[in-house]
Amino acid sequence: MNSEAGFRRLPGTRMLLALLLAPAWVTADEPTWRTVEQLTAEEQALFDPAAETPRDAAIPYLPAEAYPFSAPYTAEEMGYRSAEFPHISRWTHSLIDVFGVITSTGYINQGMGVSYVEQTTGPGLDGYMRGLAAGDVHSKWLIYSKFPPETEAEQQLWLVYRTDPKVTTKMDFFVYSPAMRRVRRQPQPRRDQRFPDNAQTFDDVIGRDPWEMDWKLLGVDVLYQTVRYPGTRPTITLNHGNQGFVEENTAAIRPMGSDYAHYRADGGVDCWVVMGTIKPELVPDYNEKFLIFWLDKAHFYPLRTEKYDHDGNLMMVEVRNARHENLAREGFGYSAHNTVYWDIQHDIMSYSFHDGHEPVTWTEEQKGMLFTPEFMRRQWLVKPVKSLSLVENPDHYFLRPHLDREKFPEVRKISLPPELEARIAAQESAGHLVFDEGSASAGGQ
Amino acid sequence: MLSRVRLLCASGGLCLSLAAFSTAQADLMSTVDRSMATFNPAGKYVRKPIERAVPRLNFRGAFRQWGDVLIDTDDQVGFRGQDFRFAQLQNLLELEMSYQLGPGLELNAVTHALYDGVYDWQSSAALYADRDDRTVELYDDAERLMRELYVSYRRPGFDLLLGKQQVIWGKMDGQFIDIINGMDRREAVQLETEDYELRRLPTWMANSTFHFGRNSLQLLYIFDFEEDRQARPGTPWHSPAIPPPNALGQIILPRVGPQSSDFDDHEFGMRFDRSAGALTYGFIYAWLWDKNPVGHVVGTTNDGTSTLVNLQPRHERLHHFGVTADYATTLTDIPLVGALPSVFRVEALWTKGVRFQDYTKVEAARLGADTDGTAQHDTLRMALAAEFGLPHNTTLIFQPSLYYTFGWNPSLGYAFGGGIGDEWTLIPVVYVARPFAFSRDRLSMNFTAFPVVSGPDKEWQGIKTKLRVKYKFSQFISTQLVYNGYDAGRPNEFYGQYDEWDNIGWELNYEF
Repeated sequence: MNSEAGFRRLPGTRMLLALLLAPAWVTADEPTWRTVEQLTAEEQALFDPAAETPRDAAIPYLPAEAYPFSAPYTAEEMGYRSAEFPHISRWTHSLIDVFGVITSTGYINQGMGVSYVEQTTGPGLDGYMRGLAAGDVHSKWLIYSKFPPETEAEQQLWLVYRTDPKVTTKMDFFVYSPAMRRVRRQPQPRRDQRFPDNAQTFDDVIGRDPWEMDWKLLGVDVLYQTVRYPGTRPTITLNHGNQGFVEENTAAIRPMGSDYAHYRADGGVDCWVVMGTIKPELVPDYNEKFLIFWLDKAHFYPLRTEKYDHDGNLMMVEVRNARHENLAREGFGYSAHNTVYWDIQHDIMSYSFHDGHEPVTWTEEQKGMLFTPEFMRRQWLVKPVKSLSLVENPDHYFLRPHLDREKFPEVRKISLPPELEARIAAQESAGHLVFDEGSASAGGQ
Repeated sequence: MLSRVRLLCASGGLCLSLAAFSTAQADLMSTVDRSMATFNPAGKYVRKPIERAVPRLNFRGAFRQWGDVLIDTDDQVGFRGQDFRFAQLQNLLELEMSYQLGPGLELNAVTHALYDGVYDWQSSAALYADRDDRTVELYDDAERLMRELYVSYRRPGFDLLLGKQQVIWGKMDGQFIDIINGMDRREAVQLETEDYELRRLPTWMANSTFHFGRNSLQLLYIFDFEEDRQARPGTPWHSPAIPPPNALGQIILPRVGPQSSDFDDHEFGMRFDRSAGALTYGFIYAWLWDKNPVGHVVGTTNDGTSTLVNLQPRHERLHHFGVTADYATTLTDIPLVGALPSVFRVEALWTKGVRFQDYTKVEAARLGADTDGTAQHDTLRMALAAEFGLPHNTTLIFQPSLYYTFGWNPSLGYAFGGGIGDEWTLIPVVYVARPFAFSRDRLSMNFTAFPVVSGPDKEWQGIKTKLRVKYKFSQFISTQLVYNGYDAGRPNEFYGQYDEWDNIGWELNYEF
């Protein structure tokens, strides 16, 4: 397996840790994944295979059963629960978003932005679905650039709307340029369009509404590793809760964080594997035909997401390391701490670190002040948040996620060009990214 | 013309070289490119450890190195020598710090260290200004080194910035309402919008802004005065059209300027802004000293052969009234481009009672008439700008700018806001810029043309053209090559006087 190569080069204490955690999956022939037909009795008791369920009387595109539902869960209900956890958490908070992208030749672009998030309704998906009408602003994000130096003090204000099958405008978007001392309102980007030279699309950041997809359970799986650190980056400096910097051993970072109570004895995370097929009548001409989600069984947290095109080919893999950032929200308080996006077609890999995450309660005065286009002109970073988690060297960049080609082959069509296969092989052999030289990549990307 | 042929030959040679680039070189370039992407030693070994050790401190810096090489030189141009090749060889280190003292309370500092090698690194008799004013070569006093130093106190409805700072009221090329701070104009006609941030002369003041809804009201109390610093004699950009004082039969006395210790000399300004959706607009009023003094005749001196006038440079107190507006929209159904994101801007400033030197009166004073040799006239300067976001990330800006002197007559000199040696001057600036997708937008190019026409006297005063090619090695390091040309116009006209100052420049920026 790909993972073996990643661990083979671990030195010293990390090798010991790897041995202690050594799960059956490393060497056993027994697959970690099973189809719906192979569910255990316990899993069958948690799964409702019904494809048609009663609808809500007031909002007919929602299931009638009260959110967050109760077991047994339909595939649709699992999809709704996973929508609890988009890239930006559904509660008021502040953080610093550290992000970057690397090309196959090793050229890195990175950035950092202090982000303030305000929810106009109660936290969580329920507040989004039932707390306000379609067309109302649901969430407000103010982002203040801190890196690179050339973009320092540039700001963005995202006003995110509650949408429904008829009201589809996702957001208003303002940017502030300190050089021009001017705020500009920008048109909303296409939902399925990648950001320039990036692996993420607009929807990857803002999230997709669960009613825009038809849901189907593919089976179950066990995930042991999501985001993969290279052997060249043994530690990382993080700012947990904006309480100061701590050095963490990257080999010890686990997919659901350190306080997750549902790890298997072998260290894995039990997951439902769910397929969401885009409804063309609601989202016409969408680039992605379907997505496959690996949802942890305890909270339906999406640890891995794959996107497929209309020919059924794998387009993009997103893997996350989550952290329990909002303890008050218990199982709903997990947040995307570290996410890696791998665009297969262009072999571009983006990452996002949500460092210094701190749930906050903005005062009424702050709400009225912070989340307006006018405020950006003041260039006032009300609540500083710092991070030291930038990648300092291309060799320290995250590895491409595992492809796990053997899993669910009926629906997972993975076809890679030979040069990408060669890069992956080189990565697995070296334990870190191995880059193309200029002559090899000419014309690529 | 010869210089342009050379330029074309050089460009052709570069293209041939690129075509012959071998695979090995491409691989080497790729390796270099990858290394450059994260090459940030000051960030890694200075900024990061400092910010980690002092969590409340934000620290950043930049090093800039830039130079201009004159394409041709002449021993003598107009009233000055031009025996030098480098018009700039400047090295600037900027450090910026802000320390959070408490919620909403910060101490901010910006320091500048500048060294211009044009006086040391070439042999020239025409460049001697560093003997009289060291700051043209090296920032060696606290005033220049400690560029900004202020405390900011911010509450939801109120900002107060107290200390040495720069206030930017306008952003258009030509400084229409950007009138608060003085400017280091050592580059004369080559000073442009992107230089203002580095060239403004920060001033000690109290700067408060009240915010209420979509409105804001800014009040300035300025208790310090910084005059403009023009390209003085003995500097590379000193005007060749200005004769020495003795050639004009003048004796220039020491300047009389406002005193920070005298309350009556302090300055005031206010600005109101309002945003209404895509439209933002604002009004300004300021009671400021003219940043440039005008020579008043205070007497005459007979040297035995002729009568010389004694001129004392004095600053005039001015009332400024201004307006600014900014409207962003997307035009639809435009032929060839479809949707067209557009921004329209206007900045205008009417200034009352600007003091001009009146050469007829100066001559009358020389003959014994009771006059100080000056006259007062109102001036108007304004610009309209239309900015269009064309396909392929191409930006087009068209900015007609007008300068007008009320009650103008041919014996007036140049003064704040008015036509350039004429009743009116029109500069229709054209700017085109685009990045190149094949380079991931790291390579970009822009072109600017500044034609100057005026009336009723001078008509055509020349054109300045600027072609800039910029390449970003990384997020930290960028470089650019710039061609500046000054063409047409007579030797005593705005751009015409710099006809021999065509130059090629480079710039290297490292930000950390």
